[in-house]
Amino acid sequence: MSPDLQNALTDFIPQVVPEIVLGVSACVLFLGATFRVSRHVWGVFALVALTLASFALIATIRSLPLFTEPPTTFDKSKWPLYAAPVLFTPLALFFKVVGLVTGFLLVLLSWDEGGEDHAGEYHGCLLLLVAGIGLVGAANDLLTLFLALELISLPTYLLLYLPRADERAQEAAMKYFLLSVFSSGLLLFGFSYLYGLTGTTNIPALLDMFASGQERLAPNPEASTQQPWVGVTLLALVMIVAGLGFRITSVPFHFYAPDVYQGTTTPAAALLAFVPKIVGFAALLRILGYVPGLSAFERPLGTAMGEQVPMLLWIMAAVTMTLGNILALLQDNIRRLIAYSSVAHAGYMLIGLAVVRYLANAPGESVGGVEALLFYLVAYGAMTLGFFAVLHYLDSPDRPLESVDDLAGLGKSHPSCGLLLTLFLLSLIGMPLTAGFVGKFLIFFDAMGLSSQNAEQARLYRILALIAALNAAVGGWYYLRMIGVMYLREAIDPLPRPRPAPVVATIAVCATLTLGLGLFPQSLLQLIRDALPRPNAQLVARAADEGQAVARE
Amino acid sequence: MFEDHHIVLWLLGLPLLSAVVVWCLGPTRGPAIRAVSFASSVVVLLLTAMLIVRFLAISGERSPVTEDTVHQESKIHTFKPEFVPGASAEDRHKTTWNILSFGRGQIQFYLGVDGLNIWLIVLTALLMLPSVLVSFRQITERVNEFYAWLLALQTCMIGVFLAFDIVLFYVFFEVSLIPLFFLIGIWGGSRRQYAARKFFIYTLAGSLITLLGVIGVVIACSPDASSKLTFSIPELVHEVHKNLENEDTRGYWSAVQLWTFLALSLGFAIKVPLIPFHTWLPLAHVEAPTAGSVDLAGVLLKIGSYGFLRLCIPLAPDFTLVNGLPIITWLAAIGVVYGALCAFAQDDVKRLIAYSSVSHLGLCMLGLFSLNAIGIQGGIMQMINHGLSTAALFLLIGMLYERYHTRQLKDYSGMASKMPLFAICLVFASLSSVGLPGLNGFIGEFLCLAGIYQYEVIDRQQRILPILTVLGASGLILGAWYLFTMLRKLLFGELREPSHEGEPITDLTVREWGLLTPIFILCVVIGFYPRPILHTTEPDVERIGLIVKQARKRAGLSIDPPPLVTGRADVR
Repeated sequence: MSPDLQNALTDFIPQVVPEIVLGVSACVLFLGATFRVSRHVWGVFALVALTLASFALIATIRSLPLFTEPPTTFDKSKWPLYAAPVLFTPLALFFKVVGLVTGFLLVLLSWDEGGEDHAGEYHGCLLLLVAGIGLVGAANDLLTLFLALELISLPTYLLLYLPRADERAQEAAMKYFLLSVFSSGLLLFGFSYLYGLTGTTNIPALLDMFASGQERLAPNPEASTQQPWVGVTLLALVMIVAGLGFRITSVPFHFYAPDVYQGTTTPAAALLAFVPKIVGFAALLRILGYVPGLSAFERPLGTAMGEQVPMLLWIMAAVTMTLGNILALLQDNIRRLIAYSSVAHAGYMLIGLAVVRYLANAPGESVGGVEALLFYLVAYGAMTLGFFAVLHYLDSPDRPLESVDDLAGLGKSHPSCGLLLTLFLLSLIGMPLTAGFVGKFLIFFDAMGLSSQNAEQARLYRILALIAALNAAVGGWYYLRMIGVMYLREAIDPLPRPRPAPVVATIAVCATLTLGLGLFPQSLLQLIRDALPRPNAQLVARAADEGQAVARE
Repeated sequence: MFEDHHIVLWLLGLPLLSAVVVWCLGPTRGPAIRAVSFASSVVVLLLTAMLIVRFLAISGERSPVTEDTVHQESKIHTFKPEFVPGASAEDRHKTTWNILSFGRGQIQFYLGVDGLNIWLIVLTALLMLPSVLVSFRQITERVNEFYAWLLALQTCMIGVFLAFDIVLFYVFFEVSLIPLFFLIGIWGGSRRQYAARKFFIYTLAGSLITLLGVIGVVIACSPDASSKLTFSIPELVHEVHKNLENEDTRGYWSAVQLWTFLALSLGFAIKVPLIPFHTWLPLAHVEAPTAGSVDLAGVLLKIGSYGFLRLCIPLAPDFTLVNGLPIITWLAAIGVVYGALCAFAQDDVKRLIAYSSVSHLGLCMLGLFSLNAIGIQGGIMQMINHGLSTAALFLLIGMLYERYHTRQLKDYSGMASKMPLFAICLVFASLSSVGLPGLNGFIGEFLCLAGIYQYEVIDRQQRILPILTVLGASGLILGAWYLFTMLRKLLFGELREPSHEGEPITDLTVREWGLLTPIFILCVVIGFYPRPILHTTEPDVERIGLIVKQARKRAGLSIDPPPLVTGRADVR
């Protein structure tokens, strides 16, 4: 065995033990699914696998040091930043935990999903998804990142196809497949440009190169237009943002969402609403250089990709939330409505991404923007999964829950379901005392919080905050419509009383999270803060000096 | 043992606890639900009575003038809440209970009582009792939910008034929409769905802009990453004034104030409501059940005017003085006349009273925005008085509707001979609303008009035609016109009852008497002896007066306008 390979194995394998556990379990499920066994066996197996993966994660935390310390030397063996395909950073840990929790919730949510003969494959795919989330969070290399993203896309196609084989489900699966492949192609194309420009696929190295290039150009802005690499970088970034924009359902890459959500089953729609968003934002954070602490050179976050990126994100955020909300107003089908609402929420989250460049420069301060984005992401996950879980709980083959009117009188016929749906909807509106409010508050706070030094940007982002506020009011209308239908109207054809099912556990966890994070947001915010290293004041100052020195040369 | 700040916490906790208990009792146990709600509102009322007694005891020492006589012109003034739960050892006006901590500041669970909010809390507690009692017979469906939402609404309203943290204020402000949405939407009239949704969305849109204003103020107060971030209203007011007094930062802050004022006032103007943001109000009132109308008119609208007083004026004093004052007073004055004329045109009694609210609150805003001590005290008095008299009117109309199931004036005539007690009560409530001297309405209306007169004639030297004062005063005359017209059509003339399908029509029952009595007693007491209210509000009105005085100095206006009446601002 060559020493390089040995090094790679000894460094790499221990970091991804949870993912390996999940992958192996998924393989067992795929093989085992050929045997006719009750679906409960496979469900329990998936839960056991997730529990094992959680233990593996705990063991990893105990045995491996988290990658937090800023480097002092360039000793490659001690410091894998510029070499390793994956890094066990605090943020990676955060995403792994989010992935595992999502995994548990999804397995319980889709316990009864699909035919008896597909249950094994279905749960196997879910496990692969969870592994994919963890890998995207940890990826330190464009290739790992791309593979991890595909590890999520491929099972998703199956998950869309497996539980339902009628025409609409097939259309949904096909649509998602084609567009997803296309977006992956775009993403890869963008990656290839980045590789062509820098000669490396290592993300920190690549970002450092761009950043130093930008710094050289900074004193002389006119020169930047003459530098061909600036244009090529932008082109690459546009393609990358487009490729990932598909996953976070941002306009104009959202077209598939309503059709696919409507065509597929409720658990699959829940999964589509949340999982691609986690990985999409995780990948964007990483590639745009918005994760602090991952560079030998301390410089303000997000300088690598130039000044145009925040502008691009600004426009995407504004258009995404506005279009998503307005189109949601016109919907009658619940799942289509939530599809557009998930587009709108992607818009709010993009605000968090768009402000990072201008917020995170303060030394010793929490990382604005990213923090709000991650909080919103978790809050959004809790309320959307919860909402879909209640829908799924009420839905039955002989009385499908399709249009908003089907919810009529729910508050009376199913008081607790009505109450829970109301809780999730109020959270989606962003009413106080729910997680949704805290998320919106943090996002608004960051968008308004630009320092007065860059007055022009401050004004721009205040306008964005205003657009978001108006959008939230528009959003209030269609969520409220559902609450109104549930409580203010009489049931025409009451829904049958559902049987107790494992999905109740998902609902309970989501409701607890939605309410708990609304009442006590400090706990999650602290976790997120710990996951993001603060920019070190001295290092920032030193980096600024060095930057000037470089510029003088 | 039972300390002052415990009362504050119980005021908030007890209705919430009762709401949970009531909800859990289930829809079938009607008597138990009613008993719990009634007991809870009685206890809350007793707690507020305790609060008043203890507050009166210390209110003598609260004047900002006695605090610091030498430097009072140059000193920076801010609110000083009392009875703060979790107060730190060194400063009883500040709390140490944090909810959400940012790196350089925290959102706190900061409650307190001062002269501006204490009477509004009393009003909330007082109006809860009739709201509960009047619903005993009116509400028969989903009883537990109804009382739970009603109690939750009370929690939110008390919370808004108690909050001294700007985010906490906003949280209560916004959450109060949810209970009322359900109260209107489930137990309302025929167009309840539309009314509930319109009310919710209208207010939500305004309050989201207010949220931006709130965040904007907080951020403007800590311009760079090294400065402290504060969400406490007293500290924010302090910061704003420090920055305004400082020559270097004043330029930036004049710009900030414009946006602060616009953003904050939009949400509050919708809530008050000022013309042209009032369209949701008549609809919501007409469709709401009686208890909902009582709370909506009695307390919720005051959240808007209270927001102006607590946040808008102190956080943007210069802009309020120079630009906000003309805008708001004109809108308010137009509202006074427009609301009155609209009220006159209505045939639905509830709609009539709803428009009369627009008119009365216009007068209240005129008082508040005259920005002098008399006017602000008048505004506060008007808030309380409007709460009492309009609640009484809504209660009476609710009782009538309960008997005949119609609210159209054209269906009734000569009811005085059929229900004499009812007629007496309605006349009394109308007189109180119109502002008959000797009843509560007069005090507030007089002070408001005196305040706006002082602003216009003495301050701005508009001796020829003080048009705002004239418009405001015409509201009183028009008010008498539409209310007496209503009384004439409803009570006097030949007896003509709407059909009531053979059900025997009784005059007011003991329960109905009982629920009206406390309101009427208070109407008379305030009418003859308003001193305790004026006395307790005075120190805090003076604080706002001093804030405005400094703003006047900055704006280059004369600092001490000659007083309208010699001596202090209260009527003794």
